[in-house]
Order: sequence, then C-alpha cells, then structure tokens
Amino acid sequence: MPDVGPAYEELAAARRLEALPGFATGPLTPLLVEAGGASLQPALRGRFDEGVEGVVGQLAYKRNKTFRFHVALTEVPAATAFAPRVFCIRRGRSTRDDEFYGFEARHSKLWTESTALNERYAVSTSPYQDPMWLRQLFSPSFVDWLGTKPPADFSFELAYGALLGSVEDDDPGADGLAALCEATAHVAARVREECEE
Amino acid sequence: MQLNKVGIGLIAFFGLAGAAFAIVPILIGAPGEVAGILASIGVIWVLVAAGLLWYARRQERKAAHNDWIFQTGIRGTATVLYAGSHAEVNEMPLMSLRLDLEVPGMATREVKRREVMPAFAAARMQPGLTLPVYVNPKDGDDFILVW
Repeated sequence: MPDVGPAYEELAAARRLEALPGFATGPLTPLLVEAGGASLQPALRGRFDEGVEGVVGQLAYKRNKTFRFHVALTEVPAATAFAPRVFCIRRGRSTRDDEFYGFEARHSKLWTESTALNERYAVSTSPYQDPMWLRQLFSPSFVDWLGTKPPADFSFELAYGALLGSVEDDDPGADGLAALCEATAHVAARVREECEE
Repeated sequence: MQLNKVGIGLIAFFGLAGAAFAIVPILIGAPGEVAGILASIGVIWVLVAAGLLWYARRQERKAAHNDWIFQTGIRGTATVLYAGSHAEVNEMPLMSLRLDLEVPGMATREVKRREVMPAFAAARMQPGLTLPVYVNPKDGDDFILVW
C-alpha cells in the first residue's frame, strides 16, 4: 500500500488546504455507499477553484479485496431540482467484485446521446430525468472537455446535490490530486452554470 | 426492480442445470431411485428459474407502464411528509413514504408509496423534500415518483 501522506501534505501546502483527522462523508453517492461508511483518510478541506469548496481525500474500503480511490467531494445544491442523479463513470471501472443479487432497483438509465462521451464514460441518470436538461448540460464544449482534459481515470457522481469526483490511481501524487480537485471544480461550475440558466 | 447480469446468470443456471438434472439421468438409464431424486431436484430448480423469469417479466411490464406514464402523464410535485424504512431488499432500504401530491387539474391529496431505493437516495428522503411526479391522466392514483 503506497504512503500517500506526503502527496496530501504537498497538496495542502501548495493550495492552503486544511488537514483533517479524517472525514466521514455519509452515504451520499453510489461509490460512498459501496465504501460502507469508510472515512476519507487522509483528508483535506478548502478551496478547489474559484467558488468551489470541498474535501479531498483517500477512500479505501474492503469487500472481497481492497478498493482504493482518491475523491473530491463538493456540493451543488441547486442541481437536485434539475438532475437528482447524473453518474459519469469511466468505462471499465470496478467498485465491487462480490455482486450476488440478481435484481436491483431501477434507479438509473443509460444516457447514450453523445458517442464521444460514451467512448470513455458510461453516463447514467434517473430513469425519468428531463432529457432536455441533460442535452444542455452535456454541451459540445463540456463533452469535449470530459473527453480530453480530466485525469484518464476520472469519474464523477452527482446525487441530490452532492458531487463526487474520483480517480482510481493508488498514488496519484500531489499533481494528480490537484488535477482531481480542478476537474471536480470544473464539473461543479458547469452544473451550477446550467442550473442558473 | 430490474434483472441484472447476475440475475440472468442465475436464471440460466437454475433453468439449464435443473433441466439437465431432470432429463440426463433418465437418458443414461440411471437407477430409478437416483433418477427420481435428481429429477425432483431438477424440477425444483426449473420452477425457481421460471419464478424468477416471471418476476422479471412482471417488473419489465411495470417499467414499460411507468415509461408510458412518463411520456404521457401530467407533471406535478410530491412533498415528502414522512419517510421511514423497516426492511431491506438486497442491501437497499424499502422506503415507506407518505406524500402530499399536487397535480394540476386534480385535488391535492395525501398518498402512500413504497419504493426500494439505493442507500444514497433513501438517505435524502426527508420530510419537506419536493420531488417531481408524473400522473396517469386517466387514473390519479397511478403515478411515478421521480427520486
């Protein structure tokens, strides 16, 4: 297991983030539910970018094996009224390997209108999400950004106003963590912008 | 609820293995008592597969009906008055909700609804939360809650 402490210390110093003893997120998004209440450790709180504050930390949990992510959590409360749930997950990502239930709640529907987006991500929403709003959110420039700019293993989950960006790299280093914060902040800003329109 | 890949695998396993248990011993001329025991197990497994398939089809029809309401229904709002859970289905809370339903052209009324939700959604079901609903224009009690 890599020691990620120094990378977090470097990030905290570079961005003036506050080190937390740990951070309990609660079951806000599917990934955090999979983690079964695991705290972010190490964790830093502060400003990701202009107008976007949140907590960045390492999320590790054990099912049949240990899963390790680095996540950046922020809030876009206005999104609940427009898009209760939008999940944009890197294709091939695994968050559990002990699935044994044959039925699951019909809580998501794949959104496949953008071929460029679907090459890299599986995008899903509430089955009864307003499709017009999604088309506006995933504007050509945002789709282009998602396809080229965030870290290669970046995914995000937006659920009831909680936005969680995440990467799978065991040890992304301070630069990788900074890129995670910036990518999450960019998504937050885009969602907020669309809510305000 | 909807069938996932694991469910398809389970149905295929119980159906095919059950059929094999029921038929193969007879075909290869196994002793009567052995063939009888294996056939009994096989029939039970086939019945399990048939039951799962029936449930999956029923859920599929329900989903198609809900899709129809989404396409043609009247949009309104539901405000959560009470939300609680005393049971789980596959690690997901079975939520009991009491809702205040407001739909244009219909009288405001209180309704109850039970939904199996992932934990991240169940945690957000608090009194005062307002969610969209789509109501069957021909039947005000037939609605989908957008959560």
